[in-house]
Amino acid sequence: MENAWIIPLFPLLSFLFLIFFGKRLKDASAYIGILLSLASFVYSLLVLFERFTSPTHKAESVWLTIGDVQLTAGFEVNQLNALMLVIVSLVSFLVHTYSKGYMHGDERIHVYYAYLGLFTFAMLGLVLSPNLLQTYIFWELVGLGSFLLIGFYFYKDEAKRAAKKAFIMTRIGDVGLLIGMILLFWQAGSFEYDEIFAAVEAGAISSTMITLTAILIFIGAMGKSGQFPLHTWLPDAMEGPTPVSALIHAATMVAAGVYLVASLFPLFTASETALMTVAIVGAFTAIFAASIGLVQKDIKRVLAFSTVSQLGYMMLALGSAGYVAGVFHLMTHAFFKALLFLAAGSVIHAVHTQDIEKMGGLWKKLRVTGPLFLIGTLAISGVPLFSGFFSKDEILIAAWAHGNTVLFWLAVVAAFFTAFYMFRLFFMVFAGESRTDMKHVKESPSVMTIPMVVLAVLAVVAGYVNTPWFGTFLGDWLTDGNPALGHGHIEGPAWIMIVATIVSLLGIFLAWLIYSKRSLARDWLGASTLYNVLYNKYYIDELYEVTILKVTKGISVLLRFIETFLVEGIVKGVAGAVSGLGHVGSKFQNGQIQRYGTVAFIGVAILIVVFTVTGGYLK
Amino acid sequence: MDLETLLSFKWGIMTPEFIILGAITLLSLLDLFMPKTVNRKLLGWLGLAGILGALVSLVTLIGNGPESILFDTFRLDSFAIAFKLLLLIGAALVFLIATSYETKEGLDEYRGEFYYLFLAALLGAMMMSSSGDLITLFIGLELLSISSYILVGIRKKNRQSNESAMKYVINGGISTSFTLFGMSYVYGLTGTTNLLDMARHVVMLTDSQHIYLLGLAFFMIFIGLSFKLATAPFHMWAPDVYQGAATPVTAFLSVVSKTAGFILIVRILMVIFYNIPSEGLGTMPLLLKLQDYLAFLAAATMIIGNVIALRQKNIKRLFAYSSIAQAGYLLVVVTSMSAFLFDTLWFYLGAYLFMNLGAFAIIQLVTQKAGSEDISEFAGLYRKAPFLAIAMAVFILSLAGIPGTAGFIGKLNIFMGALVTEPSHYVLVSIMIATTVVSYFYYFGVMVQMFFRPAVEQVKFKLPAGLGVVIGICLFATILFGVAPNIALDFLQTNFNQFSDFFQ
Repeated sequence: MENAWIIPLFPLLSFLFLIFFGKRLKDASAYIGILLSLASFVYSLLVLFERFTSPTHKAESVWLTIGDVQLTAGFEVNQLNALMLVIVSLVSFLVHTYSKGYMHGDERIHVYYAYLGLFTFAMLGLVLSPNLLQTYIFWELVGLGSFLLIGFYFYKDEAKRAAKKAFIMTRIGDVGLLIGMILLFWQAGSFEYDEIFAAVEAGAISSTMITLTAILIFIGAMGKSGQFPLHTWLPDAMEGPTPVSALIHAATMVAAGVYLVASLFPLFTASETALMTVAIVGAFTAIFAASIGLVQKDIKRVLAFSTVSQLGYMMLALGSAGYVAGVFHLMTHAFFKALLFLAAGSVIHAVHTQDIEKMGGLWKKLRVTGPLFLIGTLAISGVPLFSGFFSKDEILIAAWAHGNTVLFWLAVVAAFFTAFYMFRLFFMVFAGESRTDMKHVKESPSVMTIPMVVLAVLAVVAGYVNTPWFGTFLGDWLTDGNPALGHGHIEGPAWIMIVATIVSLLGIFLAWLIYSKRSLARDWLGASTLYNVLYNKYYIDELYEVTILKVTKGISVLLRFIETFLVEGIVKGVAGAVSGLGHVGSKFQNGQIQRYGTVAFIGVAILIVVFTVTGGYLK
Repeated sequence: MDLETLLSFKWGIMTPEFIILGAITLLSLLDLFMPKTVNRKLLGWLGLAGILGALVSLVTLIGNGPESILFDTFRLDSFAIAFKLLLLIGAALVFLIATSYETKEGLDEYRGEFYYLFLAALLGAMMMSSSGDLITLFIGLELLSISSYILVGIRKKNRQSNESAMKYVINGGISTSFTLFGMSYVYGLTGTTNLLDMARHVVMLTDSQHIYLLGLAFFMIFIGLSFKLATAPFHMWAPDVYQGAATPVTAFLSVVSKTAGFILIVRILMVIFYNIPSEGLGTMPLLLKLQDYLAFLAAATMIIGNVIALRQKNIKRLFAYSSIAQAGYLLVVVTSMSAFLFDTLWFYLGAYLFMNLGAFAIIQLVTQKAGSEDISEFAGLYRKAPFLAIAMAVFILSLAGIPGTAGFIGKLNIFMGALVTEPSHYVLVSIMIATTVVSYFYYFGVMVQMFFRPAVEQVKFKLPAGLGVVIGICLFATILFGVAPNIALDFLQTNFNQFSDFFQ
């Protein structure tokens, strides 16, 4: 554990090595990336096991002295860090391996692996940071890595735009983080997590200041974690290679926002208003993104909105004082969402399209990907016995126990949506017959399927580390010795679990009726004239279509409207105003030297007049 | 003055200046008598050797207490040494850039002048940082300015260059008249030109009318000097001049000349205006009362620089506005007047020196190759020359203040300085953060060109040794001071004793 700082250095080494020698290595560069990421995974695992038995380790040294202020740099291994290290390095290792197959034949594969290394380095560094300043530095590096990876296919215009959008949108959040961080420093006199918490506990910071800084920091987290209204970059970011989406936009970078809130949890719990803000933003994002997910046609965009929605869940959990629930869902989500993205990548790899309208009937053709995708879908839908079931249940209980009844029901509805759109996706891709002429659909090579199998196993079993039935190991361990984080397990009424189960099964059933059943019926209809016999079945479908679907579609159209006109409108308005100002400014700069002199002269005149008037010298 | 007094001066403290002066003399004589066939690039290397010699001798002077010669007109205190270090390093890098400079029209006839005018300008800047008297200060300033005017117009056959030089001279003239006018008030009220004597005089002032006059003088001097800094309202010349001047000259103006401007302004503000009581004996310094005006100018500069930069298509114009914005950040340091004003200013100027000169070295290489200064010439640089693109990316990230680079640490220092003072300048800091966000748009525009746009044609870049060295040094320093800033700050702490001899 004393040597945990080595962990991020492996991927950094991979980055440096590939940047300088990658061109000569070509395909061999994949092996370097894979080996080094494996090394950091193994090391992380060792650290995690060691952390089970020994206390938190922290090492620091002075990094920067300004006046009499000393800033330190170092690393810390506490429960949360140790867990995150394993999640990040595992997913990174699996994505490295998977990419070997997915990116096969790309002539810039060495650049791709170099960027992956940079990103992994930054993410692991972020996780190990013991203070806000260091966190911020890696936070930005993570953003840079993501910028490079999203824009990897730079010859596509969308990719370029998406990369820029992702960087700038998250930067807007980061400004909040920076201000919050500086305010905290100003108030607590330190960037260290421990010292900030101590200052908060001792009452050295006024409660309004705590609320303000917590919310500012949360704005930073919103940017990275794609919370409303800073979420718009995440769906666009799907322009990057699919394994990148699995790594960055499912398991690691987007979870960084949740991680930030979790690691500053004592600050948030000190302010009820801040917690409430987190919870409301989270719950709203959860249902907002889920409803948009209902109508998307691009396989990756469905998953992207689903990610936004699930991150909203995690925020809701944290905002409801459910520290364990939030971190638990962060972990299970990392596994099943990475699985879903990789499986989606495998589908795209096979059929070369992302449009689900053009897919269908792939179950028989992709005998490995199909079941794996199903496992992921079951897990995210919260079907009992899968990991997502337990973590989602924890979140619902936390929301209920915290007294957020409205938010609780929003989350339940969002869970219904989730089950519905995920199975819609599943049925449209895998069930029925192919809707377009697809030949040569081949299953992906084992270098791609094996990582998925690993994730699928985890997507099933990861939930059992924290269940109401077999014990709450994870929760007890996470909160051990740290009463500020709340209880390891929050007791909730048993009916919540039943409601959650019913809701998810209902969603699946509905999706089956509409997307699987109907396509069956349609095919059958084409071959037969017994139209009337089946009319009633259609009638049910139509009914669903008219009632539930219309309403949800209505909501999602409304929310889309808010999204395109309100959110993007404000963003565009601000950007337009700034650029308009720039236009006026550059027009004003007309090359006439008289004007330049006049401006200087007027400047002096104004200053002197103001000075004279305010100084009372005119009297 | 007889020979005895002349010999009694401790001339040793002027060694760096003498070396530069010697180099100028040598270069101009050689240029005159060397046959036309000899490549004048030789002179460039000689000049560089001179600068390095001056740098070495300056390093040996570190630790000398405050000393002054020539009747207190030339003083060497830790402030002067610390900032002269920046000037000399900056000038050495500019020289390296200049040795690789070529023009379409051919520069060979004036290449000799090109080099020794740089040295003359540098000498002016060095005199400015060491002067203890308004007279030497002004002479140094004019030496720097006049040499720069000629440098801007050195491409005599290029119309743009001529236009730039013309604009620069006229604007410079206006600014000088402002400065002199302000100085004359100060002289009139104190009866001396020596800075420390002035300080001793003004402390005793009680007449509010006199203090008012000094307030006027402050504005005149400050606005006049803001020409050198290229800050509002005297910033408008910068884009036109930067665009028209030869790239090494632009680099010189944006780094060395700007640094000299800040040295001058800090010396005058801190020595004279900080000591003027605002309402009679022992009251708050006039300078603190005027903080709001400085803050306003800093804010205006940051906004103007960053916002107008958004619309630029020419890379040198873009960097002109970027340098206006950077000067705005530096004005925030001056405005906040925190306890570690000098440290913060020194560090940011140092970081700015490396990141900006590195960027200019690459700009020169790319624009010279392409024959155009349009930003689109950077398209696909990553594929053509990955090292150059990555280096440029680091410089740009540093200018934008992204963590891991020296620029970030510099900005962080500025924030902290502005927030720890009483009253804290949080409005100014907010404006700085907001405009920094705006700056990402144009900085990343260049990044997008380099990494995500396909190149029009595949040409290999041949990296001249001089530029390679500049880029290497700047890259190394930008990252080193971003990762381990304490190296620089410790150096400052251990060697300059917190600049405590500034007022002695």
